[in-house]
Amino acid sequence: MKDIKQLIVIADRIQDALRKLKRSRYTELLSQLTYLEDNLTEIADRSKRLRTSLERGWLSAAGSCCDGINRITNDVSYYLSRFKELSDKPVHEIPKLSAIVEDLRQLQQEFGKVELDKAANTISVVTEPITLQDVYLGPFEIKLDLNRLPELYRSNPYYCIALDPHPAATSEDVTHPHVSNERLCEGEGYPAIRAALEQGRLCDFFTIIRGILNTYSPDSPYVRLDEWDGQACYECGYVTDGENSYFCSFCDQTFCEQCSTCCHSCNETVCNSCSQLCAHCEESTCPNCIEQCPKCKRLYCSSCLEEDLCPNCKEELENENEQHSNQNTTTDEDGSPEQSATTQPEIQHSS
Amino acid sequence: MRILFIDNEGGGFADYLDVDRGITVEKFFAEKMPGRKPEDYLIRVNRQPVARDCVLQENDRVTITPLKIEGAAA
Repeated sequence: MKDIKQLIVIADRIQDALRKLKRSRYTELLSQLTYLEDNLTEIADRSKRLRTSLERGWLSAAGSCCDGINRITNDVSYYLSRFKELSDKPVHEIPKLSAIVEDLRQLQQEFGKVELDKAANTISVVTEPITLQDVYLGPFEIKLDLNRLPELYRSNPYYCIALDPHPAATSEDVTHPHVSNERLCEGEGYPAIRAALEQGRLCDFFTIIRGILNTYSPDSPYVRLDEWDGQACYECGYVTDGENSYFCSFCDQTFCEQCSTCCHSCNETVCNSCSQLCAHCEESTCPNCIEQCPKCKRLYCSSCLEEDLCPNCKEELENENEQHSNQNTTTDEDGSPEQSATTQPEIQHSS
Repeated sequence: MRILFIDNEGGGFADYLDVDRGITVEKFFAEKMPGRKPEDYLIRVNRQPVARDCVLQENDRVTITPLKIEGAAA
């Protein structure tokens, strides 16, 4: 437990950051108003041009003015909504030093330890080790950067740092389903986090963050917990996520993109080991779609086989048949006896 | 009587409320969080954990924070 002097030092820094945050709220409001003013001036200017265009019958120019005004009104509604979002928020008094000290005491009770890094001007607490759906993620340090608290309306002023990181197999930056690069995606906690920080309720802020870290939302994670460890390619061992792994139904194994292919005949996924190259078209083919040519004994895809023969053997057979046919015609003309069945080509059409 | 109620669910509502004298923490929770289970929340009165039959007093500060909050991906 920190003594009262230490708590006052921390509380003083928090109070100072809250003053800057309060000022930054008005600065942000002014910034949105400036954008609005600029856009409204632009609309007024284009409105004059529209009037002139109509008076002179320049309908094409009038259309162009309307298109421009339409684009600007989209920006106006965005800046207006940002302005309303900020201006509708109730203005809270900056808490007294004693209230902040009480808050810090509660924070100590909830987390056991509160750390102030005077040089970096940060306040940190550490969560219990977190395990979600049997996936161990370890403890997290939640670090609030008081120097960045005034930037609350533009970015998150805190970090969630994995102290015993067990990141997703597919991305070392993802240490939690909702944390990437130490930044938490707050989801449903977004408004409550902002309200707690604006009102200087530090303990509530840290407990809300802990609540998010202790929860898994399967609808919107950076990496799903059931794919946390990824899948290793059976061939090369490369770990891939579910979207980039491919199952070969011929050997019942999972492969990465480089170690698998697609049968060009039936589009079935097949691993490189189970697939064969067609000797004619040289395309990858699955075991179901590849056959041996009975004459040359080489493998061909079903698309390249014609009447069970590969294109070369088929051509040879046709040439032989043609030669026989020509010989028979010549013999018949010479009055020779008919050729016996034993002199026919060896390959017979199966069909 | 008046108490300060801080609801860290949803929008992070924090305001003074008028409640009946003698109301317990359990009843207050049931009124403010209908259909929810107290065990799913961190409930603090004047920053301290309290029993469910604790009777609220004038100017008490009641904080209710969900233990589970769904995050997202950017």
